[in-house]
Parts: sequence; C-alpha cells; structure tokens
Amino acid sequence: MLLELKNIYKWVNSGSRRIFLLKDINLEVKEGEFMSIMGPSGSGKSTLLNVIGMLDHFNEGTYNFLNEPVHELKEKHRANLYKEYIGFVFQAYHLIDELTVYENIETPLLYKNVKSSERKALVADMLDRFNIVGKKDLFPQQLSGGQQQLVGIARALISKPKLILADEPTGNLNSKQSEEIMELFKDLNNEGVTIIQATHSEMNASYGSRTIHLLDGMRNRTN
Amino acid sequence: MIKNYFKIAFRNIRKNKLYAFINIFGLAIGLASCLLIGLYINNELSYDKFNSNASRIVRITMEYKMSDEVNNIATTGTKVGPEFNRTFPEVEDYVRTYISSSNVKYGNKLFNEDRILFADPSFFKIFTFNLIEGNFATVLDAPNKIVLTQSMAKKYFGNESPINKTITVIGKEMTVSGVCEDTPKNAQLKFDFVTQFLNLGNGVKVEEWYTANWITYLLLNEGANVSNLEKKINKYMNSDAIRKQTRAEGTNYLNYHLEPLLDVHLKSDLAGFEPNGSITYVYIFIIIALLILLIASANYTNLATAQSTQRSGEIGMRKVMGASKSQVFIQFISESTVVTCIATVLALLLSVGVIPYFNQMTGQTFERFELIQPMPLLLLGIFCVLVSFLAGLYPALVLSGAQVIGILKKGFSSTGKHSLLRKSLIVGQFAISVFLIIYTLIILQQMDFIKNKNLGYDKDHVVVLPIGGDMLNNFQLIKDAMQNVNGVTSVTAAYETPEFVQWGDGLTVTDEKGKHDISLKAMPVELDFTKTLGMTMAAGRDFVQSDFSLMDTLNNWSNYKQPYIINETLARQIGWTPEESIGRLIENRALGPVVGVVKDFNFSSLHEPIGPLLMFLSRNFSRTYMVRINSNDIQGTLSRLETVWNDRTAGRPFNYHFLDEDYNALYKAEQRSSLLFSVAAMLAIILACLGLFGLAAFTTVQRTKEIGIRKTLGATLTHIVLLISKNFLMLVSISIVIAAPIALFAAQNWLQNFTYKIEPRMWVFITAAAVTLLITLVTVGFHSLKAGMSNPVKSLRTE
Repeated sequence: MLLELKNIYKWVNSGSRRIFLLKDINLEVKEGEFMSIMGPSGSGKSTLLNVIGMLDHFNEGTYNFLNEPVHELKEKHRANLYKEYIGFVFQAYHLIDELTVYENIETPLLYKNVKSSERKALVADMLDRFNIVGKKDLFPQQLSGGQQQLVGIARALISKPKLILADEPTGNLNSKQSEEIMELFKDLNNEGVTIIQATHSEMNASYGSRTIHLLDGMRNRTN
Repeated sequence: MIKNYFKIAFRNIRKNKLYAFINIFGLAIGLASCLLIGLYINNELSYDKFNSNASRIVRITMEYKMSDEVNNIATTGTKVGPEFNRTFPEVEDYVRTYISSSNVKYGNKLFNEDRILFADPSFFKIFTFNLIEGNFATVLDAPNKIVLTQSMAKKYFGNESPINKTITVIGKEMTVSGVCEDTPKNAQLKFDFVTQFLNLGNGVKVEEWYTANWITYLLLNEGANVSNLEKKINKYMNSDAIRKQTRAEGTNYLNYHLEPLLDVHLKSDLAGFEPNGSITYVYIFIIIALLILLIASANYTNLATAQSTQRSGEIGMRKVMGASKSQVFIQFISESTVVTCIATVLALLLSVGVIPYFNQMTGQTFERFELIQPMPLLLLGIFCVLVSFLAGLYPALVLSGAQVIGILKKGFSSTGKHSLLRKSLIVGQFAISVFLIIYTLIILQQMDFIKNKNLGYDKDHVVVLPIGGDMLNNFQLIKDAMQNVNGVTSVTAAYETPEFVQWGDGLTVTDEKGKHDISLKAMPVELDFTKTLGMTMAAGRDFVQSDFSLMDTLNNWSNYKQPYIINETLARQIGWTPEESIGRLIENRALGPVVGVVKDFNFSSLHEPIGPLLMFLSRNFSRTYMVRINSNDIQGTLSRLETVWNDRTAGRPFNYHFLDEDYNALYKAEQRSSLLFSVAAMLAIILACLGLFGLAAFTTVQRTKEIGIRKTLGATLTHIVLLISKNFLMLVSISIVIAAPIALFAAQNWLQNFTYKIEPRMWVFITAAAVTLLITLVTVGFHSLKAGMSNPVKSLRTE
C-alpha cells in the first residue's frame, strides 16, 4: 500500500457558512497504479492532489503514506516525506523563468545536497532520455508548451520519486503534444512509478489503470 | 548551491534593470557617504595620536577673574612652563610655543611664510616630529638655529642639503640645524620652520604670569595623575605668596587647567593654533551618513517586498522541489549581498572620484590613496555585510516563510502587513528628507543673514595689507602714496581688522559715581579708522592729526595724554550717554579724554553680543593697512596699488586680501555645515524619490488591469493619475507633519549659538512641503500618466 486516505474532510469558512472542498474522501492507492481523477471544474480534483502531495492541509480524517501517519506529522517531517517520494507536474509547468532547462532540472538535486559530479550525471541522463540535450541552455520562454512540460516532468523525475502527481498535465497543450506526454506517463508507469493525474479528458484517463470521479468534493459513485 | 544563488541574483538584476539601478545606485551613494565620513572621523579621532608621548602631554589653559569677569584662554604667560617645571615633580619638561609669520630669504628666494614656530629647545623631545637630519637634543640649542620641514627644504634649497646653510628669518641670519618631516594633517601644531622661543624678543626673556600669548605644553612623568596635578597647581596658585605675585586681590584669581593633548582637538572649547574640531560635528556627520544609508537600504527592502508577488511562483516551486525555509532565506540574502557588493565597488570608485569636493566641504586635505588603505576598506567591508543583511533581511524572512500552497494557488499577497511596512518605510525616508530640507533652509537663511547683516561698518571693498618688518618707519610715506592712488577712497591702519577683535584689555574710570574697573576689548587705530570703515559716530569725532600732539613724550612723558574713542556699549556700561562721554577722562594706557563715541558695531562673531570696546590712537601698534577702494575697476585699482606698494616697501610681497574674506572666515564652520547639510538633503530626497519611482512603477504594473477596467468604465486621465498618486502623496504629507516640528526644534537649537539670528519663518516650511510634494507628484505622476494613457483593451487582453 502506497497511500491510504480515510474520511478526509477539508473546508473553508465563508462568513457563517462552511464550504466543503473535500467531503469524506476514502481512497487507497497501491504502488504501481496509474490512477486518474476526473470531475468538473471546482469538484476538488486539484485540492485532492494537493492533499495527497502534502502541499495542503485537511481538516479531518487520516492519511497514511508508506505507513507514516501524515496527519500527525510536523510540517518539516512532512516536507521531507514529499521531497523524498513525490514528484509534481503542473498544468502551467511552473518552471523557474530565471533558470535554464538544465538548471531547472538540477534544482531539486541542489536542495537534496547531491554532489556536483553526481548531479551532472543524473541531469545528463534525464536530458538524454527526454531528447532535450540540445535545449539544455535555453530558458523556459524559449520552449514550446510541450517542451516545457517535458522539462517539468524531467524535473519531477530527477529525484527518483515513487509517486508522480500530475495536475492536468496536458491542459495547456494541443492534442499531439498531449498524446506524447501521456505516452511518456504510461512508459514511466510501466517502469514502476505510481502516477495520479487529475484530468478533464476521458482520453487521458484511458491511459490509466483506474479512474475515480469527484463532484462537489465527494467521490461520485454513480458512474 | 551558492553559485546557483548568485546566478539567480545576477539574472534578476538583469531582468529588473530599473530596480537594480535604484538599489545599486542608492546603496553606492549611501556607502560612499559612510566611507568618506568614516575617513573624516578617523582623521578627527586620530588627532595628535602620532606623538609617542601623547598620553603624557598636556596643554595648559588659563582661567582668571578680574573686574568681576571670568576669562578662559588657551594661551599662557612665559612663566607658567618654567615655574611649574621647577615646582612640581610630576612635570618632566615644558615647551612654550608661538606661531608667527615672517619673510624668509635664502639667496634670491624671498617668501612670506605664515607658519614659523617659536619653541623651547625641548620641543623635539616632547613632540614626535621625526627629524630626517639633525639630533633632537641639539637642533634648537642655540638661538641662531632653525629647523625646516622637508617641503620647505625643497622650496628653498631644491636638491642641495640645507644643513648648516644660512637663511634670513625675522630679520636674523639663522643656520639650518635640522630637517623634519612635514607636519601631519592630524597635528594641532602645524609648522614649516622651528626656531628658539627666545627669538621672539626681549619680552619673552622675562618670566611673566600675564602677557599671555604663548601656548604652553607640559610633559608629565609616567603615571602622573592629571587631575591631581591640576588641583595641586591651583592650590599653589592660590597660596598667598603667589597671589601677591599675580596681583590677585579680593575675589580675583588666576588658575590653570590641564588638558590632555588628545582631548584638545575635539573636546576643548579653547582654540589654540587652529580652530578645534568638535565632537558634536563628528556625531552629526555620523548620523547623516547613517541616515543616507538607511534611506538607500529602505529602498532595497521596499522594492524587494514589492517584487515578492512576481517572485512568489518561483519560491513556491522551489519549495515544492524540496527547498527548505532556510535555503530560500539564504537565496534572498545572497541576492541582497550581490547587489550590495556591486554597490560597494561603485561606492569606492565614487568616493575616489568625489574626494576633492569632499575636501572642499570639510576643509580637509585627503588624498585619493588614503581610501585604498586597510582601515577604510575594512570599514567598507563591514558596512557591505551589514547592509546586505539590513536590506535583505525582511524580504528574505517574508518570502521564505510563505506557505507553498498559498503561493501556487493565488500568488503572493502584497497587500496587508507588508504594505504597512512599506508605507512606514516611505514615511520614514521622506521624514528624514523633509527634516534635512527644512533644517538646511534655516541654516542657509541664517548664513544669508550673517552675510548681509548691517554690522555697523561696511566690510565690502576694503583691501587688507599686512605691515611688517621696518615698514613702520615709512608708515606715513606708504599711507600717503596709497591714498593718492586712483580708485582709493581712504586709507587707515590698525593693530587688527575689526571683524574679530582679540586684544583684551582693561579700563579704569573715576567719575562722580566712583571708580569703575571694566575689562574690555581694545583696538589701537590710526587716523581715519572710522571713516575708512564706514562707521558712524554717535557723538564727538574721529581722531585727527592734532590728537597726536596730546601724546607728548617730552619731559619724561609727564604731559602725555592718550585720546580715546569708545563704543556706545562702553559708554552705557560706565553710565554715560554718548554726549556726556565727550571730554571725560578715562585711563587705559594713560589718562586721556574721550573724543568720540562710535555707534556699536560687531567686532566679534555674531555668536556673541557686542561688548565694550575702546579704541586708542596709536601708530606704533599698526600691523595692517586697510584701504577702501571704489567698487568700479577693482582690478585696476589693485594693480596700481601693487605698483605703489612695490615702490615703497622694498620688495615686500603684495599679499592683499579683502576684509569681507576675513569676515566670512569667521563662519567657516557654519558655512561648511550648511554645505554639508545641503548635500545631505539633496542626496536624501534624490534617494527617497528613486525608491518612490520604483514603487510607483511597480504599483502601476500591478494595477494595470484595474486601471483598464476603470477606463472602460469611463475614468478620465485625471482620475487615474489621482488614483495612483493619492496614496503616495498622503504618505509624504504624513512625513512632512512628522518632520517639520523636529526640524524646527533642531534648527532653533542650532540658532541658539548665535546672539544675532533669524526667526524661522512659515515660508520655510511651506516651501519645503510644497517642493517635496511636487517632487513626489512628478515622480509618481510619470507612471500614472503612462498607465492612464495606455489602451485599456491591451491591458485587459493580457489575462
């Protein structure tokens, strides 16, 4: 078992009303799964991903990640956990504008205090694998959307995570680019990386092994 | 890792050129101010420290009470040194000193030299002025020996060795016995020549308590306690035997104080050979430098926090990728470090460049190489580190502490508490600027008042020429010759010029109300004095030729009468009206009649009220001619005067200056501080405005969409400009309200030093406020105009 969510609630207070973002979410994900989360805008897909990625808090419920009780962990401990095991891919790529492709991919290693020589080797491998060696000295603005997302994925993979969380990874891409990215995810999954993606697209969801549906912060079990 | 931080920092500087420019330029100015002022303060604090005996040398000052008045002077009589040396075992040695000017002649080289030091033979033993040639124990052991400084040796002898050559000084042939290094600029005693004290003439060969014209230093034994010795000395001075000797009767007394050599320059109120520095000015300088640096640092903090919205995505991502809080913190501190380091290099270049102007401002003579020394560089380094943290700390703390999810979702909030800090910083910056502006305006107003005050005489167009050597023998001849020069209105002579009379004296008057003893200032003057200087008589007349016949030296001076002119204050002090005074007999040098009462004029600086003044007719005390000339064709008149001068004075240099220069020199310290404050005020407002400019640019960008929407809803350009400027104008107004009273208080405190002073007027405050608001409006208006005139469709499409 990679992770397990039990009775997760998340809400915000707006005036005297309480608005639920997540409501009684129960979810188990095994290692090696490729899961898709679907649902309309505002249904809580991103919130759920952020909770799973430990970037966001929840108000109630229990969350175990690799048998660690996330809900009981201190901020710092939690950060160490996601640094170690989780890679993030965003719809808007979120590359750092001031850094080159090479440096963007390298940054997570810097924060893990990986030695310089080892860093070079790891980044070179990654560039090679994604066929972007020729682009390593370019800045994000100089790349197409698909290429930027490739760099984003390469950056997420560089620290060898067990789990990739992808929030509408193809939302800003055209269909051909989308297909390439999804193929890539499928390959990664075949290599053993667990993937959870949030998506609007049935087509993208079909790459996964399992799909869950959200509506108004609840799992929608009708379909 | 660090490399990565620096890379990011450099790329950010490149990306935000405006902000980078504001920050680097501002910090460079702030750091340069600190560096230069550090140099100045270091010099002030190092005064006289080069003397290896510094801790054992004291200067003796004299305090005496006579006719109900207590006087403190830095000069002492000839007796003090030898007497104390004989009497007190703590005193190891003494040296009496005096600096005078004289013609110096060697071969066909003849110059007038101003810095000829007369000192006892112990001089080189007590003070550390290194002798390049000659032995310190013997260089002054005979009256015909003289020591030159290196530059004088060069000036008179070129590459020849001056040793044992004969030069003519004070009309005597003297043998050069030694050459010493040039006196350092942090020495209170600066000289070009040194010869024996006794060369001053027969007057100094007698030991006297009074006739105090000499500055005496004592060398104390190791471990002697200065304040104990001072007590012992004054106990001795108040013993009956000595009181009798000093003719101290009743409550009168004569006491001495000992000032440690190292305290003289900054802490003594009594000027010796040169005007003292002031510890107050040292503090003011420090405060000004720090204020400017503070304004520049505040700019950095402000712009950095304002930019945080733009940077939030980056920070969020870094955190998602595993950056810890401290890693982000270090990244931002390294950014401020990079900016500060560039600014530091620039500051050093800037300081080197502006050193001549800085010298002008402070009256110092710093050389460029003095900046490239370990001490100033270390100081600069320390400031660099300090500023890096000071300016970068807050942005680093705020940005590194942000929550990841908040940043990723909605961007970084730049409102709320950061904007409160930003507003406070702006208010602080402008309060400092407004304070400096108002304070400077008031100082400048007072300086203008000093310049144009009706002094009771006309200081303009009066040429001052020194009388020296045997010129007194031809006094009348020279005077008449000058009188006849075309363009000369009137000629007179006196012991000293009237702007700052130093001759202290006493007067005895016996009238129906009894005997008055009055201590006062006295002026020996020649004929036409009041006329030449444009003074007005309140009663009676100026001296005339026939007054000389009163001064009858025949019959053993038995018929000698001294004619006097007194000022109104003196008449009032005695209890006479000006008219009553005429013809009354008073006694100073001799009994004599008052022939005139002159209207009060300022014969001391405007710091002090007009005191009693006595003028007595004398030709033999004349040391300066004063020549009033027409205001048209001044150059022509001067060159005609020079021709006459060269004809009649046997080649004495025509060293003229104008009386108003002497007058202005009295206020050198004030002039310097007014200049300093003007520059500081200017820098402060420029830096504060630069910061504002950056912030306004930023705010406008941030509000582009809002402005677009407002315009589509029908807002006019005026609305938009007002919308953007309103907040800034409000902040600046608050700073004016805060700064104005403080500036008024400080300025009034400064004005307290003057007896004759201006009242700060309302217009000063209104001008300062108006100028500041106008500058703000222009600064901010530029951006708001740009925003207001942009096409709203464009700004809305960016979404």
